[in-house]
Parts: sequence; structure tokens; C-alpha cells
Amino acid sequence: MIALYRTGTGPLHRLAAGPKLLLFAVIALTLSLLAPTLWMLGAALALVVAVYAVAGLGARELGRQLWTSRWLIVIMLVPQLIVLPPVVAVANTGRVVAIILLAAAVTLTTRVPAVIEATERGLGWTRRFGGNPALVGLVLALTITTIPVIAGFATVIREAQAARGARMRLTTFVVPLLVMSLRHADDLGDALAARGVE
Amino acid sequence: MTTRRPAALDLRDLARIVVFAAIIAVLGLAPGIPVFGSVPITSQTLGVMLAGTVLGAWRGAAAVLVVEVLVALGLPLLAGPRGGAGVFVGPSAGYLIGWIVGAFVIGAIARAGSRRPVWWRTAIACVVGGILVIYAIGIPVVSAVTHLPLATAAISSLAFVPGDLLKVVIATLITQALWRAYPAAFRRGRA
Repeated sequence: MIALYRTGTGPLHRLAAGPKLLLFAVIALTLSLLAPTLWMLGAALALVVAVYAVAGLGARELGRQLWTSRWLIVIMLVPQLIVLPPVVAVANTGRVVAIILLAAAVTLTTRVPAVIEATERGLGWTRRFGGNPALVGLVLALTITTIPVIAGFATVIREAQAARGARMRLTTFVVPLLVMSLRHADDLGDALAARGVE
Repeated sequence: MTTRRPAALDLRDLARIVVFAAIIAVLGLAPGIPVFGSVPITSQTLGVMLAGTVLGAWRGAAAVLVVEVLVALGLPLLAGPRGGAGVFVGPSAGYLIGWIVGAFVIGAIARAGSRRPVWWRTAIACVVGGILVIYAIGIPVVSAVTHLPLATAAISSLAFVPGDLLKVVIATLITQALWRAYPAAFRRGRA
């Protein structure tokens, strides 16, 4: 599995996943509640640049993330420019882009297993109401290990069909994929039962 | 057969949720497959529809939820490939919530009454849950995030309706074919 994580040793990488996610949530909420002014936009963009610099992600990564959001920016900005004052339109768009870039910074600096652990810990309170945080963690981790297995089935089916010279169609691809995958699910369920998961 | 114990976890159900989440992820990672000639479509929402028709309401919605939690945690599992917490604060956030509710509604309609999938009920389920429900949740969020009037946001989403109708047809064909090839896939657990 190729996660979006970038290796690094900056302060944002070292910050524990739980507090980092909480901090992001607070900043995102604050940004979305502020009035759409150029001051707000300037502060938001300065924060984004500072976060990427401190995290050691650098200007290139920031540029790459911006490039990924280019259509989003066009889709949001153009209609707003027609119906709203330009300052408000630009500030509104910049606000959403800043929040998306900050969310990307969290994603880029946090390993997925660390986030799963933080999720399990964060769900600790649900035990009182019959929740099972360990099970949530298990399901997430199991899915991550299962994705390459299903992707392998998909490759086998494509290669088998290509070898027979069959034309690739969605139905003739997905039906065998579902059959192979759901058989695998039954094996997986039995394996879990054999290991005494509850 | 599993013994009926309320609140007991059915591990086969759990495994099906895990595997279907992986299927939805793989369908999103696969490049667009040409259907009916040369129009490529991404098959991720097809995966959402199939989760409902094959797994039923609760398990189908759970499978979609698992994919989205993994996306939020930082895996690029959405078509594109896109991922990370950012997609849940952008305009597409409503559609992603709509997928979960949509899979539930599809399962509830498609699996109501009988165990055997009936083609017209599957098709209706996919139109209602896979198109109407998803757009009903997605469009207001697009409107709120982009500050566009609701009507403008609705009109700009119309471009995706033909592709979605095509996916309804394909999801129905696949569901019927799967019933003939592997009826055990539709095994009803709890829920």
C-alpha cells in the first residue's frame, strides 16, 4: 500500500497523531467561522506556508498540493466571482484551499498505523456504551492488508482475459472479481474465528 | 450456520465488510474501463451500488464507511487517486457522506422482502439510493462550500447523471449475474 505519508523528522512529524488531529480540527473550525476578509485570507495563507516550512515539506510539496487542487479552485472561484464581491469570492475560496492544504499537511506527516491507534484511543469512551474500539482498529488494519489481495485478483482476471483475447468489459471483469473476493471473505471469516477474535 | 446470539459478532459478516471495502478501493484505483464502446467511467460508485445490492443495508453502508475512514486517515483510495483528510473539507464531502447513506438505502430497497435479487427492484434501488440520495446530500454541501446558489450547484452536477444511469444498468446486470454465478454471495447474516 502506498500511503500519502512523506518521511521526515520535523516537529509536525514528531507531534502525536491524536493532538495533531485535534489541533487541525480547531484551526479548520476557526478558519471557517472568520469573516471573509483579506486579513483572514492573509493569515490563513501565512499559516499554511509556515506549517509547510516548519514541517520540512517545503515549497515543492506545497506547490504539488496546490496543483492537485487547481480544478477545485477554478470550480469554486469562477461562479463566486459572478455573484459575490471579488474580495469575498477570493477570501472564501482561499479559506477552503487553506483548510485543504492544512489537512494535506496532517496526512503527509502522520503514518496510517499511528492514526489508527489514535482512532482506537479516541473511541475509548464508546466502551461504556458497548462500543469496541479494538475491533474498529482490527477492521481498518485488515482492510489495508486485504486491498493488495483483491488488487491481485483483479490482475489475475485481467491477465486471464487478455490471454484468451477477450475484450475487456466491466461486467465480465467485476463478476469474477466479486466471486473470488467473496470466497476469500468466507476464508477470512473462518480464519478470524479460528484465532478467537471476538 | 451461525448460532443466533444477539449482540454477538458474526465474523463472516465482518470479513465481508472488510473485503467489500477493499473491492470498492480497488475499483477506485483501477483506471476507467471502457463500457459500451469507448466511454471510460470510473467504477468506484459502481462499487458503492454493489455494496448495497450484495451485502444489504447495514453491511453495505459499513463497507463504504470503512473505505472513507481509511481515506480520512490518509490512504489515497478514492478515484484519482485522491485521499487524506482534505477531501472531507472540500466540496466533495457531501457526496462522500451520500455514498454511505446511499449504500444503506440501496440495500434496504434491493433486499426488501426476498432473498433472491429481482432485477427491477435492484435497478430502482440503485436509482433511488445511488443517484437521488447521493445528489440530495451532495448538492447542498457543494452549494454551502462553494457559496453557489443551490440551483446552480444542482445544474452543474447534471453532467454526471448519464454516467450514473449507465452504472445503474451495469450494477443491475452484475447483481443478476452474481446471483447466477455465486448465490452464496447474497447470504443473509444478521441485519
